[in-house]
Amino acid sequence: MINSSLIKNSRYGLSKRLKLDKVVLLMALFFLLLLPVLVWHNDYILQVFTHALLLATLALAWNILGVSGSISLGHAAFFGAGAYASALLSLDAGLSVWLTIPLAGFITTGLGFIMGLICMRLRGAYFALATLAFIEIPRVVTDNWDGLTHGSLGLVGLPGFPSLHLGSWHIDFYSSITASYYLILIYSLVLLGLVGFIFRSNLGLALQAIREEEVAAEAVGIRANSFRLLSMLLSAFFTGISGACYAHLVRYINPGLVYGLHFSAIPMIFAICGGRFTVIGPALAALIIYPLDQFIFHPLIPAGHEFLYGAVLIFAVLFMPAGFWGRMQRNTEVGLFTKSSSSGI
Amino acid sequence: MWTTVLVSGISLGSFYTLIALGFALIFGVTRNFNLAHGELLVLAGYVAYWLWKVCALPFVFTFPVAILVLLLVCLGLQRLFARLSEPLELNSIVLSFGVAIVIQNSMLFLFSGNYRLIRIPSLNQGIRFHGFYMSYGQLTLLILSLIIIFLLYIIMYRTYLGKALRATIQDKEAAALAGINVAVMGTLAFCLGAVLIGLAGPLYGCIHYLYPSTGREVTLLAITITIFAGVGRLSGIILAGWILGLAESFTVIFCGASWREMVAAVLLLTLLTFRPHGILGDKL
Repeated sequence: MINSSLIKNSRYGLSKRLKLDKVVLLMALFFLLLLPVLVWHNDYILQVFTHALLLATLALAWNILGVSGSISLGHAAFFGAGAYASALLSLDAGLSVWLTIPLAGFITTGLGFIMGLICMRLRGAYFALATLAFIEIPRVVTDNWDGLTHGSLGLVGLPGFPSLHLGSWHIDFYSSITASYYLILIYSLVLLGLVGFIFRSNLGLALQAIREEEVAAEAVGIRANSFRLLSMLLSAFFTGISGACYAHLVRYINPGLVYGLHFSAIPMIFAICGGRFTVIGPALAALIIYPLDQFIFHPLIPAGHEFLYGAVLIFAVLFMPAGFWGRMQRNTEVGLFTKSSSSGI
Repeated sequence: MWTTVLVSGISLGSFYTLIALGFALIFGVTRNFNLAHGELLVLAGYVAYWLWKVCALPFVFTFPVAILVLLLVCLGLQRLFARLSEPLELNSIVLSFGVAIVIQNSMLFLFSGNYRLIRIPSLNQGIRFHGFYMSYGQLTLLILSLIIIFLLYIIMYRTYLGKALRATIQDKEAAALAGINVAVMGTLAFCLGAVLIGLAGPLYGCIHYLYPSTGREVTLLAITITIFAGVGRLSGIILAGWILGLAESFTVIFCGASWREMVAAVLLLTLLTFRPHGILGDKL
């Protein structure tokens, strides 16, 4: 049943959606750009928003794969691998952090390729389960390969972002969180633009067609597996970069932390709550839910405040499967999971 | 040494079967993947630990309370799952993932993140016979697991109720046509699952440290065994449990204890790649 009308529809949908997107995007952008001034450079608030932005990049990267209808529970594997790759390259090989972060992205892409080879034949629920199991492999290897990774105790004293000298400008990431904040903001904006571009490109259209009806998509000449693999590689690359940024931002990592289920859950939760099939929904969800958690729930319930993430996920699955942003747009009748993704193995 | 490894593998494997049975039953009857399975099991373990440590109840009496608590939680959970729309399998994964996070954090809130163990000293002694060694703990685990599995087998294969459950596992629509109330079967599956988890949880607390995030490991075990056995095939589960238990025991001996956690994951990925319908299963 697939024909050009589906492609046209989604193109049409995108252009209609653009207006609302632009207004909210501009408001959010203004708020984020002025935030350091608005909060009088309050370190704590800026730190929370830096993390929120980093988690937003995770959600955006997750959604590159998510738009094809696949649910990955294994992105912690990429996050952890990116964090470890960059940390070890900078700590033991002595490379500059500006070099190790992209390198970490490429190493993670390699891991994504392995995961892709294993998981790409699977669909729906079985894909999700396979990705969930996949995390264990890099985690246990990192835990045990003491010679390379320094084992399960983790790495401390990682180098932060080195200072930048642009002419007379001198940006010091050590002394002020504001500089780190703007760095992560720039990264997330670049990623947002890229994801928007990908969604509108042929790749994005192909992924949406695969999501709607994989057999039909193949019938019109879309090589579903290649496109899904490509989306997984892109998703892995940016998740790895985010992981690397996390390592240099927090400057302490250990296997249990960076390969924890937390970093698999977070991007999925933000993407589903914000709207899996939208560009900015996942990022907005990150910027709302994470500060909510940190400013309100964390002080109230120090142990166990993360139940919030589970609660919003349950709420979203049961009552708002298109996500709050997807619901506000309401121009395409798309449920959380379409029929094709149920087709099993 | 070989016999010791074999014995510990079989004893562990039988217990893994017990762990996986609840998961497999719920999945078979309702097509819901319950990713919160491990968290529920750890919750049962915590309930038992609390009763045993704080209320100083004898360990045997913790089982009924754990089962009761689990029944309540699972019935509540079933209400949530019942609201899901198609495709059930994928939606239930996402929903139960959320539930797992909520339960994990509730446990962190109620019991803190400290490592707990139900330490029963007599279980650490054992039988020694010509280099063969088996602790009473392993023996208890083996016997209790086998008894519970046998009882479940009786229910499933020797009663009318079991017949109805098996019919629902095989084909929901056909079962409904034959006059079986599929919704009631779903509730029953959750109840039976809760009883199984309530029995396995306190035992788990005896052999493994309890902490809120350990449930993920248990869930992975249950998924691996269920898929190994083939969807909805209770008969293959015990074989799958033993193979996993033996694989883990041999890994611990030859590669070291820290590689153990990878065994289930590697097995699951291999299975999904080569035999997605289970070792014993055929294409459904």
